[in-house]
Amino acid sequence: MSVEVGNTSRVFFREAICRAVGETLDAEPNAILMGQDVGAFGGSYKEFYGLFERFGPARVRDTPVAESAMVGLGVGAAAAGVRTLVSITYMDFVLLALDPLVNYAAKARFKTGGQIRVPMVVKVTAGAKGQGVAHSQSLESWLMSVPGLQVVAPSNVADAYGLMRSALQADGPVVYVDHKRLFPTSGLLSTLPHEVPFGLAVVSRPGRNATIVTHSYMVSVALAACEQLAVDGIDCEVIDLRSLAPLDLDTICTSVSKTGVLVTLEEGQVVCGVGAEIACRVQARLGPVKVSRLGAVPAPVSSNPVLEAASLPDAARVADAVRHLTTEGK
Amino acid sequence: MLYKLLLPGPIADLSEVRVLEWHGSPGTQFHAGDLVVELDTHKAVVEMRASSHIVLRKILIEPGDWQRVGEPLAIVSDSADEPLPERAEDLAQASATYEMV
Repeated sequence: MSVEVGNTSRVFFREAICRAVGETLDAEPNAILMGQDVGAFGGSYKEFYGLFERFGPARVRDTPVAESAMVGLGVGAAAAGVRTLVSITYMDFVLLALDPLVNYAAKARFKTGGQIRVPMVVKVTAGAKGQGVAHSQSLESWLMSVPGLQVVAPSNVADAYGLMRSALQADGPVVYVDHKRLFPTSGLLSTLPHEVPFGLAVVSRPGRNATIVTHSYMVSVALAACEQLAVDGIDCEVIDLRSLAPLDLDTICTSVSKTGVLVTLEEGQVVCGVGAEIACRVQARLGPVKVSRLGAVPAPVSSNPVLEAASLPDAARVADAVRHLTTEGK
Repeated sequence: MLYKLLLPGPIADLSEVRVLEWHGSPGTQFHAGDLVVELDTHKAVVEMRASSHIVLRKILIEPGDWQRVGEPLAIVSDSADEPLPERAEDLAQASATYEMV
């Protein structure tokens, strides 16, 4: 189907997810997928295209618009030994499913002394792309603090596949956060099955003068900012977290000890955000460093495209923040 | 007359798509409304249809290969007997463009 370059082929973001899910449904005859429009429609972003035809309606199940019931059912099925992927198209609506996710899925292992595991993945799509206040949020920091919950967020095709493979092998609940603006992207993917382990960040761009720690779609924003900064002779390192819980503090600290400057970048809110956690933990380990936390302005994401763009970090704002920190005191 | 059969655009958010299937081979005649080629995009399979009578002469992008929006997918002509340049660069000179619907 795709151009093969060595042992890789070029695929759309949605196809990377689909392949990982399809391989799991193939390998585990018990495993199921459920969510709104995951069946004959093939998923809201066609990320499950063809799975309904391959695995049938008993294993690829369309559900009503009832997120609490979907995740509740998923927790029960997973606890009974049925590996379950629940798809919630917009991350905003994971709020409706917080009770089964937080109070049941995440706590089951602790409550039962490890006797009950919940191998469930909740896949959600975050990010702003013209869909207004209740279909645009990036709420991953809300979930990072829940003991027992793992949270991952790919920024590219290869990680979309590898993190989904890992998520579908985990024995506890995982929230897999993708992003609306990643679906038009494509990239090279190894044709051999493989996983991206949780808790392992990656250096997307090496640099000497500042560290930008980010995840998901904001990785591309950070890399664009680096191009602007390179013109001024400022050489930035970009760390793609990939996994928010567990968090790879070692990779972050190795970078910040070298650059002495930490900029955290996320599309969600700054208050109690991913960056707040990172800034605190980095300084607990390394002592004071220059820090700037970037994220959305404290307002709902607007339906107005001009206001939407104004409310979110972009390359120019990231570059400004880095310039400010790196030239401070000089 | 020879034409470059273009991948129409712009397509929102997208710079490149993949050819899924050609519904003909060199020599196939298409009439207005006939399905010429199916494309894989980030959202769906998109059908491209002929907007008038044309003859498919040479496929430039094979199934599974990618092309940028606005670039040629194939060479087509008004009639089947128009001579086709052998050299790729001469084909690329085919200045007229043909847009599908």
